[in-house]
Amino acid sequence: MDKKELFTKVIKKNEGLIFKVAILYTNSLQDREDLSQEIVFQLWKSFDSFNEQSKLSTWMYRVALNTAIYNLKQSKKRIETTAIELETMQFADVLDKTEEERIKLLYEHVQRLNLLEKGIILLYLEGKSHVEIASIIGITTSNVGTKISRIREKIKSQITKKR
Amino acid sequence: MELEEMKNTWGKLSKRVEKQEILTTQLIEKITQQNYNSKMNKIHYSEYVGTIICYVGASYILMNFSKIDEVLIQVLAGLSVLLLFTLPVISLKSVRSIRNIDITSNTYLENINLFVRQKIKFQKLQKLNVALGLFFMLIVLPVLAAIQGKSLDQIPDFWTLIFPIFVSFFLVFAWWVLKSYNKVLSATEKMLTDINN
Repeated sequence: MDKKELFTKVIKKNEGLIFKVAILYTNSLQDREDLSQEIVFQLWKSFDSFNEQSKLSTWMYRVALNTAIYNLKQSKKRIETTAIELETMQFADVLDKTEEERIKLLYEHVQRLNLLEKGIILLYLEGKSHVEIASIIGITTSNVGTKISRIREKIKSQITKKR
Repeated sequence: MELEEMKNTWGKLSKRVEKQEILTTQLIEKITQQNYNSKMNKIHYSEYVGTIICYVGASYILMNFSKIDEVLIQVLAGLSVLLLFTLPVISLKSVRSIRNIDITSNTYLENINLFVRQKIKFQKLQKLNVALGLFFMLIVLPVLAAIQGKSLDQIPDFWTLIFPIFVSFFLVFAWWVLKSYNKVLSATEKMLTDINN
């Protein structure tokens, strides 16, 4: 299998990861598509330097999240995004009302977090261990726990304020 | 919504996402082609146009420099040319500085810090650009008049009407631009503090 075939296989297997990062860091279909393609391009550029000793998903998340930060410069020149266009998701028609509301709420909460918290929460929601989160984000394992607790408090206070 | 509920919702969303074919093989192949046009770090068309306009302006002053007799106006013309060459360089340099960032090896936190610091630097440079741009607007007026063989005193109502209106307009404009830059700048600086606490 040549390099391109191997890369395509890796991307196809992990496209959900790319798409989910793109969802959280953009708020329109066009921006999401641009970011997804940019992530694939950055992954391709660094495919040779991928060290097989590190986990494939760790490398992919690192490149995807780092690309997402720099993409913010391109899209709206703003650090935060505000609303999600759920109808632009290909599966929006199969979501029931409650599910749709929950996704919107989740998105709303995540958008209010700062960039660092956003990265941590994405990995937490993806079910990553504290060790993996620490390695991708670049903080200590104990700090991951502290940050997650702070995020929990922050979200609680967002809910209280809303009421 | 508690974190655990969010995790649950995210899990459901993940299941849906995994069933989708979002990136087609053809699209991936296109991205891996040599000629893929990455949008990141791209210098915008408007920035190139701005640079060309500045250089055309500088060339115009240089070509007509011999028409200027007064030493003071010659100094102002020299300053104008210097500004016309410097302003686009400042802009392009700040846009290009992000090219050296290592997206693969740096951790997310390292890149956030670099990104936010660059944003702060960029905003400060833009503030400098606005101030220098306004200064340029003022000094280029007598230069252009001299090239046309006129003195500002010969233009009717120049000192009594045109000049005060011009200065007032640009002062209000500068105040408005700098105010909005300061607002964004302090929000970005606050973000940097939040992240590192």
